[in-house]
Amino acid sequence: MTETEALETHLQELRRGTVVLACLRLLTEPGYGYGLLEELESRGFDTDANTLYPLLRRLEKQGHLVSEWNTDEARPRKFYRTSVAGDRLAAALTADFRAISAAIAALPEKD
Amino acid sequence: MNATLTDRYVDAAMRSVPEKQRDDLSAELRASIDDQIDARVDAGERHEAAERAVLTELGDPDKLAAGYLERPLWLVGPRYYLDWWRLLKLLWAIVPACAAFGVALGQTLAGAPLGAIIGSTIGVVVSVIVHVAFWVTIVFVILERTGHETMDQSAWTPDRLPEPKASGAKLSDLVATLVFLAIGAGFVLWDHFIGWPVGDGRMTSFLDPGLWPWWITGLFVLMAAEAALAVTVYARGRWTTGLAYLNLVLDVAIALPALWLISQGLFLNPELLPTVDPDDGAQVTGILNVILGFVFAGIAVWDSIDAFLKAHRAR
Repeated sequence: MTETEALETHLQELRRGTVVLACLRLLTEPGYGYGLLEELESRGFDTDANTLYPLLRRLEKQGHLVSEWNTDEARPRKFYRTSVAGDRLAAALTADFRAISAAIAALPEKD
Repeated sequence: MNATLTDRYVDAAMRSVPEKQRDDLSAELRASIDDQIDARVDAGERHEAAERAVLTELGDPDKLAAGYLERPLWLVGPRYYLDWWRLLKLLWAIVPACAAFGVALGQTLAGAPLGAIIGSTIGVVVSVIVHVAFWVTIVFVILERTGHETMDQSAWTPDRLPEPKASGAKLSDLVATLVFLAIGAGFVLWDHFIGWPVGDGRMTSFLDPGLWPWWITGLFVLMAAEAALAVTVYARGRWTTGLAYLNLVLDVAIALPALWLISQGLFLNPELLPTVDPDDGAQVTGILNVILGFVFAGIAVWDSIDAFLKAHRAR
């Protein structure tokens, strides 16, 4: 494994849970698959379509998201929204992320 | 109208999706793909190129469907791997050896020629190894997909650590070997000088009296060597590879002549069973010879391998 490949793997592992948190926080405003993908991208969450779409389904199945078909426009889209349980999960994840961030900031650093 | 690449992609992804989720999922997937294509077209790409790029990015449709349905993309995953591997090793250690012993014994009793015995034993062992692996794996593949947590619900604790393997060089091992040899020697002596009652107040021996004095003397010399070896192992505190080779030589030196004598009908007292059962005695003697031969060979093979295993572990 080259150094860049190793870096890629570690970054992926580090970021894995953050997409869930970002989705739960963003979907307090209802959103659909591709729109959310764009939003995540523009906010600096590097996500692939083939991981995001299954992730939304999974969160819905767990009850953290609720969904609704919107057929008002020419192209019907499935809109997701964070549920009450999802809000609680987002709050817990955010608190944990802050704690981790603080803990990392307190680590000794080589300058 | 020809099916577009998108149609084909959605169809392929929906193949393995259960009927009742299919409409919902396919509509959502199609809308997402179209959204992505439109975005690329708006940015100036040609439609075909945009479609191709979007689908390439989404990747293998079966993999995407597995993501939607949370299906594992492995036969036996980390949840079951250790249970699977431990069970497989345990069965591989027991079942093929038992099958080989049983088949070889059965074929020999049925009077099959040596080549056929060896051939069918190897065939059975190979097919037993393959069958055990196949069926065990199938069971775990099904378990993986029907979702129990693990085979054993309780959490691992240090109490479950395996006991240290027997070194085979403890005082108890030495005593056991010496007692076993003494009983063996006692049996041979009792057999010759006193014998066993067979009714009508008569006594007869189990072993062929023709084995005395030279074969039996040889046996006693080898048994003495076994005793000396056991003392050496105890004194050294462990089995060594050299001692294991010596043990192998002794095992062969006892088992080979014994097997030769059995095969020539010179081992059991030919008078014994006809005395007990005049009708079928000769046939029973034949069967007893075969079984004795297998037991001797089995003990010799096991004892030799066991010594090497202990020597290997003690390194």
